[in-house]
Amino acid sequence: MLTVTARPDDPRLDQLLEFVVQVAAGDLVARLDVSPDGDAVDAVAMGLNMLTEELQVLYGGLEQHVAERTALLEQAQAELKRLALNDSLTGLANRTLLGDRIDQALTRVKRGAQPPTVLALDLDGFKLINDSLGHAGGDTVLVEVARRLKAVARHTDTVARFGGDEFAILITDAGADDALRIAERALAELRLPLQVGDQMTWAGASIGVCFGSRGQTADSLLRDADTAMYVAKTRGRNNIQVFRPEMRVAAIARLQITEELQTALATDQLLLHYQPFVDLATGRIVGAEALVRWLHPQRGLVLPGEFIPIAEETGLVIELGQWAIVEAIRQLAQWQKELVLPESFRLHVNISPVHFRWASLVPFVQQVLQQHGVPAADLVLEITETGLMADEAEIVQTLQDLRSAGVGLAIDDFGTGYSSISYLRRLPVDTVKIDRSLVAGIDTDPQQHRLVAAIVQLIDAVSLTPIAEGVETAGQAVRLHALGCTYGQGHHFSRPVPADEVTELLHVEPARRDGQHPDTIGC
Amino acid sequence: MAMGGEVPMTVTLDADGFVRLWWAPGIVITGDLAREAVLAVERVCAGRQLPMLVDMTATGNLTRDARVVFAKKSAASAIALLGRSAVDRVIANFALGVSPVPVPTRFFTVEAAAVAWLRDVDSDREA
Repeated sequence: MLTVTARPDDPRLDQLLEFVVQVAAGDLVARLDVSPDGDAVDAVAMGLNMLTEELQVLYGGLEQHVAERTALLEQAQAELKRLALNDSLTGLANRTLLGDRIDQALTRVKRGAQPPTVLALDLDGFKLINDSLGHAGGDTVLVEVARRLKAVARHTDTVARFGGDEFAILITDAGADDALRIAERALAELRLPLQVGDQMTWAGASIGVCFGSRGQTADSLLRDADTAMYVAKTRGRNNIQVFRPEMRVAAIARLQITEELQTALATDQLLLHYQPFVDLATGRIVGAEALVRWLHPQRGLVLPGEFIPIAEETGLVIELGQWAIVEAIRQLAQWQKELVLPESFRLHVNISPVHFRWASLVPFVQQVLQQHGVPAADLVLEITETGLMADEAEIVQTLQDLRSAGVGLAIDDFGTGYSSISYLRRLPVDTVKIDRSLVAGIDTDPQQHRLVAAIVQLIDAVSLTPIAEGVETAGQAVRLHALGCTYGQGHHFSRPVPADEVTELLHVEPARRDGQHPDTIGC
Repeated sequence: MAMGGEVPMTVTLDADGFVRLWWAPGIVITGDLAREAVLAVERVCAGRQLPMLVDMTATGNLTRDARVVFAKKSAASAIALLGRSAVDRVIANFALGVSPVPVPTRFFTVEAAAVAWLRDVDSDREA
């Protein structure tokens, strides 16, 4: 410990005390006078001056450091908040932020403001864009869509992206007419072509509109807009639908069907019916198409139109298709064992485009064929023309693999899409089924007759086999035969029937072989 | 700044190979003066590292900037700080403790002791 000697009446002692009090109070600029005497009190004063200066510098540095760190933290916090509330790809609001804004808008309704409107937008065919242009191309499209939606919305509206190709717009302080005008402008903007690199693509959108009302929540508003958007999707896409309560009922029914379909798959409620097709020259059955049916415990027989679209949406179609393949091949094996089938008899099974993207489809089919001892050539898988157009490269590869495995392939519903015969020629298919809509007027409408004649000639020209679908009259059958169409299928010959009825038809078939004209073989 | 307009510092090289730096009494050694001193010492040393005696008797103050300059570089191989008063001691110890000089440095109140220490350090270094 140092001993400082000073006279008790030395005034500098009071100055020292005052200085220490001043510094303790935070005044780091204060300095003591140091006399030239250089005695101990001066030394203490000098030491205090130097320590205070040091403290001032350190404190200044610390303050600057804290200020810099605080600024960095604030910046990071702002960025985190932005990330938590915005979509990172487009910079639009995300679901959380949109929900908050809807809540705020609904709160203002209680104070007399106009109820908000929510638009739910889903791009049509975005998967096709992603598949053909790659994910980077898909992202470019999403960013451009975001830009266009922001351009049609007012600055007071909130445009949001929920992920994938789902967007939403919150419109506040606007009447129903104004909100609908914004929806129409959005639809028009999204119909315009989109440039991705040196390629041009089109998106289009289905838009659901829900006008808010007192007592609604953000969740219910978004849910109802989404329900209306779903209805827009089912009504041909690229349109706007305004939510009505009955839409919600339909959505619930759809959910119920999904759940029941899962149960149906697990409890053998599904069954196959078979619709034969015949050689138009002889009337002889040359094959059958397996068609799935649902024997619902309460509703009775449910046709596929009611549940296949839902199965495709939910992914249940994979399981459903597997079941259909196994059941059809099992039945074919049974017929081959019990009956003398015509040599050319082939069983057709419909396959969803979703299935053709399933990597294990080919080995699965091969395994089931092998398990039941059925030659691959006796099975034909049918894919619709529109399904083929949706995902060319991936599906064509699967078609080629199936063809290499010996499985027959047919294009279903030809004439409903826009594919050309030359396009079909490049595909590894052997059969083309002419859609029923083309066959319908063949015996009454000369123009339709000429059109089908041309189609049959073209199919023949590329060495594919035509099967006319939806043949309902003897006249149609005769005309199709005259045009050179090889096979026909339709109610004129037989409706889709349970397996045992086909067994019956195949049993009686040889007795009818001497019949000269194709005619009804059952109904 | 030197009081009364005096020359703030003098730097010489002794015949026995010591650099001597005298600060004018009462001078406040600022950052600029410190840089001047460092250059003057470098000129005298002419690329060699030599022991240095710094007479800081009755120095008015040594600012923080000046201490930072001295802490960065030195052409001297060792520095003996010579002072008399308690104030000199406080200033010297700030230079030694708070902003240490990068070569061996000590404070003395007697010149003979300072010179003897410098010789010791220099001979140790040469050995």
